[in-house]
Amino acid sequence: MTDVANRAPAQPGPNDPTVFASGFQEVAALPVGDLSPAADRSYSAPRRVLRRPWVVQLIALLILLAVWQYLTVAGDRVPSIENVVSFMWTEITGGSHGGMLLGEFWGALGLSLQRYAIGLAIGIPAGAVLGLLIGASGWVRGLLNDTTLVLLALPAVVWAFLASLWFGLTSTAPIVAVVLTAIPFVAINLSSGVRGIDAALVEMSRSYKVSRRNQIADLLLGGTLPNALTGVRLAFTTGWNSLLIVEWFGATDGVGWRARFWYDALRYEGFVGWVFLFVILITVLDRLVLRRLERRAFQWNQKPTLSFAEDWGM
Amino acid sequence: MATVLIENLTKIYPPTITYPHRVQALGGVNMSVTGNVFVAVLGPSGSGKTTLLNIVAGVETPTSGSVRAVHNGVPAQVGYVFQEPRLLPWRTVLNNMLYVQDRKSDRSRREAEFYLTMVGLNEVAHLYPSQLSAGMQQRVGIARAFLVNPDLLLMDEPFSHMDALTGRSLREYLQRVWLHTRKTALFVTHDVSEAVELADRILMLRPGGVVFDDIPIDLPRPRNPDDPAVRSVERDVLRRFDSMEAAVRFGAHAQ
Amino acid sequence: MLTVPSVTPDAISALSSREMRRAVMRRWLFRFSVLIGWAAFIGVWYFFSRLVFNPQQLPEPHVVAGESWTLITERDFRTNMQASLVRVLGGFLLAIVISCGLGWLIAYNAWWRTLLRTIVQLVVSTPIVALAILTLVVFGVSSLGPVITTAVVATPYIMMNVAQGLTGVDRRLIVMSESFGRTRSQIIAGVLLPSSLISVLAGARLAFAVAWRMELLTEIFAASEGVGFQIRRSFESYDVRGMIAWTVLFIAVMLIFENLVFRQIERRLQGRTA
Repeated sequence: MTDVANRAPAQPGPNDPTVFASGFQEVAALPVGDLSPAADRSYSAPRRVLRRPWVVQLIALLILLAVWQYLTVAGDRVPSIENVVSFMWTEITGGSHGGMLLGEFWGALGLSLQRYAIGLAIGIPAGAVLGLLIGASGWVRGLLNDTTLVLLALPAVVWAFLASLWFGLTSTAPIVAVVLTAIPFVAINLSSGVRGIDAALVEMSRSYKVSRRNQIADLLLGGTLPNALTGVRLAFTTGWNSLLIVEWFGATDGVGWRARFWYDALRYEGFVGWVFLFVILITVLDRLVLRRLERRAFQWNQKPTLSFAEDWGM
Repeated sequence: MATVLIENLTKIYPPTITYPHRVQALGGVNMSVTGNVFVAVLGPSGSGKTTLLNIVAGVETPTSGSVRAVHNGVPAQVGYVFQEPRLLPWRTVLNNMLYVQDRKSDRSRREAEFYLTMVGLNEVAHLYPSQLSAGMQQRVGIARAFLVNPDLLLMDEPFSHMDALTGRSLREYLQRVWLHTRKTALFVTHDVSEAVELADRILMLRPGGVVFDDIPIDLPRPRNPDDPAVRSVERDVLRRFDSMEAAVRFGAHAQ
Repeated sequence: MLTVPSVTPDAISALSSREMRRAVMRRWLFRFSVLIGWAAFIGVWYFFSRLVFNPQQLPEPHVVAGESWTLITERDFRTNMQASLVRVLGGFLLAIVISCGLGWLIAYNAWWRTLLRTIVQLVVSTPIVALAILTLVVFGVSSLGPVITTAVVATPYIMMNVAQGLTGVDRRLIVMSESFGRTRSQIIAGVLLPSSLISVLAGARLAFAVAWRMELLTEIFAASEGVGFQIRRSFESYDVRGMIAWTVLFIAVMLIFENLVFRQIERRLQGRTA
């Protein structure tokens, strides 16, 4: 209760809740993800530290680690944190685990990343061409839109299974799976971007007789760039997903197979370590590269407030 | 300098899913405009003014009749200022200006900066449209229209979405830039005082786009909307506008 | 009102003969191209199964259709589909319950918002295959694991929309209710819940789409029954026909849920608020 009393005289910051008589709070400019410094001033020193965004993020990580530690202690299947870390250290530095499967960490990683890159290098341009065609022409949309939706509805795991049945234990299977999962995401997002271009702007371009080159570069590509990047980001994340599934079920090399190997060998610490590596790899790519690009492409779209989903990047 | 010749122009919109009836926007319009004049096309809402401009600009096709907008025998280059700014939201102000240029050379960049300076926006050339106020955006729209060195300027109620104060200052900007170039201009509006302040000639439309009255405005420039002379012309035009409305109503009763 | 001058006869005839016909043509061309598109899809499928692969690797469409029909008529189908459905719905309901609490929290408390934001961002960017495998480690082969994992991936989407709905409530309505002396619980029941319901439903729909994909994948790794398990079994015995048939059936059931159930509720709600 003292909180409210303390806060009352402070200057209402953008994130400062107004408290209704009935006890409801109403946040003035909603929703902003980070805690605002304006609201911060009224707290005592230790509590102010607790409200620093990076401290809160640290607490979140600690909570997740605590949950893990609890699972380790409570059940007998989950390996402990230190076991996983030391196992992965041996794996990365090329040591051997009790005579099993020496080294080759970087080889497996390189091979998988190579497959991933080839798959995306084929899938993303193919999806882009498909998306532009569907978006630009009425009858192409009639022709191909439903098929693209069918491809989108198929879960990545089915593509992964089909690809590994068709191409066996080769590198073709994971590449094909990545291509097939990437195409519909890029195509659907790009085509909705093209169809979303304001007809008024097209009219304007026609009245000024804007050159075709400018129309393509500024109107078409400029206007659809954010959608294209969203599609590319989704292609990256789902492509990684299906690559791992193919390698898990139908490969004799690559990171997915290596995780599977430790699983089959009942070395759960190795297997959990690899799974965390998958998560870290794609999270770094997603948060530090792809989402930043997407946000930059959306720089022109400055809104006073974001929705929760926009702010949280979902 | 351009010549606009409109003969027996008709435009009918086919039924759509949302509005399952034919809509006649224009029914037999005849009009001719030539010389370095600023012509205001004055008419009530729904009199087909926007359709008329769109057809002159070549954005829409007429159902029947003919439209010619020529300059020295070739189709006129058009500079169109729309009701809303119609800027590419994902390009900066300067790049929006360069968008209507064929080549993005240093010279076209200087020209773009010149017209932005004319409308007082050279400082914000690197900003995105969403960072500007509605009035500033519309000023970019005006600068863009002059940038293409148009033979014919088309303006479709460019100040109708503005508040009164913003509209007033924008009209000042427009007068200033127009006096600098004196291009043939077709300015569509439903605001009598706006028409009197800006135009050399007012074409009064009745619904269907038929010209009901052709009023020359012979006032010195630059004009001030508070000038008593401008006010008295405005009253005179308003009287004529009322008589048109009465005539149309009377016609309706007779049918 | 001003009258519109009468339409000249030659203009009407010009319009009806040209633009009208063009508009009708365009509509039929589109419908026709949709038809061609489906024909081409099936044709390409036949082409691949006959000429690129063999029918063992990719069975023809009519074979898959027949297999689907056989599956539906078998007892096996009901038990497996039921198992999957119960888990999807169980996880989904669990997610709704969790989301209501957490959504309330992040709508009104900035500290919790920052905390949960970090956790949610981690969960959302984790590949779902990693989640499925971790489920296998933590819970082993059980039916609890898939339910929990489904709830975990669905919760962020619903939670977000609960918060969005709560913060989007028209504050004037709350002020109005207070000025008429309504109690806290009356305001919750009368203002907050009804006005945030549409937003919550939109989130629920998205969450359901995520949930059934997650469920399917988790079953592939960590279940001993259910559609995902059947797909995996077909895969391991090189039975492509059964694999595709199970997939098609599962997607069909889920799309029916997504489109029929949610759309119906949404339509009813919108009708009331409009």
